[in-house]
Amino acid sequence: MKKKKWWTMGRRESLQGYIFIAPWIIGFLAFTLGPLAFSLYASFTDYNITSRMDFVGLQNYDQLFTGDDLFWTSLYNTLYFVIFSVPLTTMGAIFISMLMNQSLPGMRIFRTIFYLPAVLSGVGVYLLWMQLLDPGTGLVNTVLSWFGINGPNWLFDPDWTKPSLIFMKLWSVGGSMLLYLASMQGISRNLYEAAEIDGAGAWKKFLHITLPLITPVIFFDIITSTIGSFQIFQEAYVMSQNGSGGPASSMLFYNLYMWIKAFQSFDMGYAMAMSWILFVVVLIITLINLKLAPKWVHYEGDDK
Amino acid sequence: MLKRFSLLALALLLFLTGCAGFTGGSEGTAASEGKTEDGKVKIDFWTFWGSEIRRPVIDKIIEDFNNSQDDIVVEHTYIPFGDIWTKELAAIAANNPPDVVINDINATALRGQEGQAENLAPYLEKDDISGRFYENLWDATLYEGDSYGIPFNTDTRLLFYNKDAFKEAGLDPNKPPETWEELEEYAEKLDKKSGDTYERIGFYPLYGVGSDVWLLNGSGMNYFNDKDEPVINSETNVDTMEWIKSWKDKYGEDTINRYQSQIDSQQSNPFFNGSLGMMANAATFYTQIRDYAPDLDFGVAPLPEKTSGSGNTSWGGGFVAEIPKGSSHPDEAWEFINYLTDKEAQEYWAVKNFDNVANIEASESAAASDELSEKDQMVYEMAAQNLNETLLTPMPAYAPDYVNLINPQLDAILIENEPAQEALDKAQQDVEELVEKTAQ
Repeated sequence: MKKKKWWTMGRRESLQGYIFIAPWIIGFLAFTLGPLAFSLYASFTDYNITSRMDFVGLQNYDQLFTGDDLFWTSLYNTLYFVIFSVPLTTMGAIFISMLMNQSLPGMRIFRTIFYLPAVLSGVGVYLLWMQLLDPGTGLVNTVLSWFGINGPNWLFDPDWTKPSLIFMKLWSVGGSMLLYLASMQGISRNLYEAAEIDGAGAWKKFLHITLPLITPVIFFDIITSTIGSFQIFQEAYVMSQNGSGGPASSMLFYNLYMWIKAFQSFDMGYAMAMSWILFVVVLIITLINLKLAPKWVHYEGDDK
Repeated sequence: MLKRFSLLALALLLFLTGCAGFTGGSEGTAASEGKTEDGKVKIDFWTFWGSEIRRPVIDKIIEDFNNSQDDIVVEHTYIPFGDIWTKELAAIAANNPPDVVINDINATALRGQEGQAENLAPYLEKDDISGRFYENLWDATLYEGDSYGIPFNTDTRLLFYNKDAFKEAGLDPNKPPETWEELEEYAEKLDKKSGDTYERIGFYPLYGVGSDVWLLNGSGMNYFNDKDEPVINSETNVDTMEWIKSWKDKYGEDTINRYQSQIDSQQSNPFFNGSLGMMANAATFYTQIRDYAPDLDFGVAPLPEKTSGSGNTSWGGGFVAEIPKGSSHPDEAWEFINYLTDKEAQEYWAVKNFDNVANIEASESAAASDELSEKDQMVYEMAAQNLNETLLTPMPAYAPDYVNLINPQLDAILIENEPAQEALDKAQQDVEELVEKTAQ
């Protein structure tokens, strides 16, 4: 009789997996779990960081949902930004990586140029864009005026501030372009050749070969950029008037409002309640994404 | 399944890294605990003055203090403006704060209430230095009658006007406008058009200052009255907003934006080349004129009054030196603050930086200092004089972030053409609700 082996291939592989993610797990347990639990508790208090932490029950949440117009404004602004920027940047990145996936002489130079904005980041880029978007002397409106278009006031007009930021985000799709490009290069030439023999054109090849085979990357990109877009903060902090989300609260994003509450009003308990609401919102959206994924994400080698 | 979990874990990680940015750090304060080898007490002093102009000045003041006595050594730590107060807060929460920090004067009372700064009343009982400072500045540091920070520097808004342009337009270069009506009249004369394009505009109220400054100037008071009640939709305020709007309509969006972008780029400020006749700005705007347009013949005057007799009220801010709660050497910290805000150090700061200081005596002697040029003196004297009519806008402890409710409404009036009365009514109602909620 054969004894069943305890140390199976399966167990061995899962152990290896855990070892790979161990740095993250250790970091999470040692540094993040505590603050995370603390912030959940403190969201039910009037914690002000230095001198006060009295339990107030659901008061923070109650005030947020029923008595704080700016909370809803900030949530609206953030959703607006997410809804437009995520699909647009995803499509933009796929489009550019398609272009970059041709074999032309000098393609490496183009790839570098399109990837460059992803290397530059932070406040410097925002200041640059503030100059580009300047209604009077900015390059964007100057170029528009060559075509007889009277450009908008971009960052000074409440109706244009969020489109301005989305526009700016589109400029730096190079980061996700790289992921798509890597995934596209992994697609076997045989598939395209077979399709060509069957008489498929460029569009059909894209639609029926390229697109399905990069869906795992699209899925990853959508999830990470959704989460990233919900956390938009720096752009508004740097580019809005006095860093307060103006004009007319049009750049008051969720995290900016949270920051103001935490570090200008010292209402940390309130800000922590806000961060938990955002967590729940993002979690729900991510779960929906995960639930929908099997319907459109195609993993090669999957049995399903 | 594992894939799903790792994605979820990734989601969580991203969320958490977002939060991590907010917690700040609190490294680098260990030195404040200790003493030097020869038994002197070390004081850790945090400022955001790291520029090549400011840093040598504050370092010299510190050096002078260190040499003036044998018990205390002050060590200067420079922290960028964007980080200093969040870092301070984290350090206070971790019970390891620096000993003296330069902080925003308008939030001093609030920080007193929240227990972030030490109550300075016991020290003031010993040596009462409150008489050194302009009254409005001193009052802004009080919470329930006790001071939580000692005023260091301040600023004020003045009217700058181009004397050459005045002459060209047939105006007396030594008679700046005194009322809003005169301001309009003068501006009309200074306007110069070629075709449809303005070559020079006389004045636009929102270059250099915000509409809140004109609200203050018009009403002669803050958004809150003596009884701490919000007064936002008063008749004067509605009037003021309509007045600002009328300027906007007069010049039109295109002209205003064209000028604004030149102002934003500093060197090509239209005031420097004479294409803007008058401009309200902080007194320290003069240093830009000195650097970029040294030959400009200009004058300075108090902000005009809304109507004759309504007062030339101006707006200012500033910074205090405070002892964070939990400092390990508060007594020595007080000694240093006392030195920092005394006449000698204040005058040195004022002259070297061309900055308004809180100390009245220092301010007055700086205006007459030999180290300043004639123009320097003229501007400084006007600024020092103006401080008596300069109001601050301290954040009320019962509604600290109230401006976030008012500013969107001011924008609505000016950008979205909302009727002034309606928008200010809304702001009034919002702030009243906020005050009520905090009182609960």
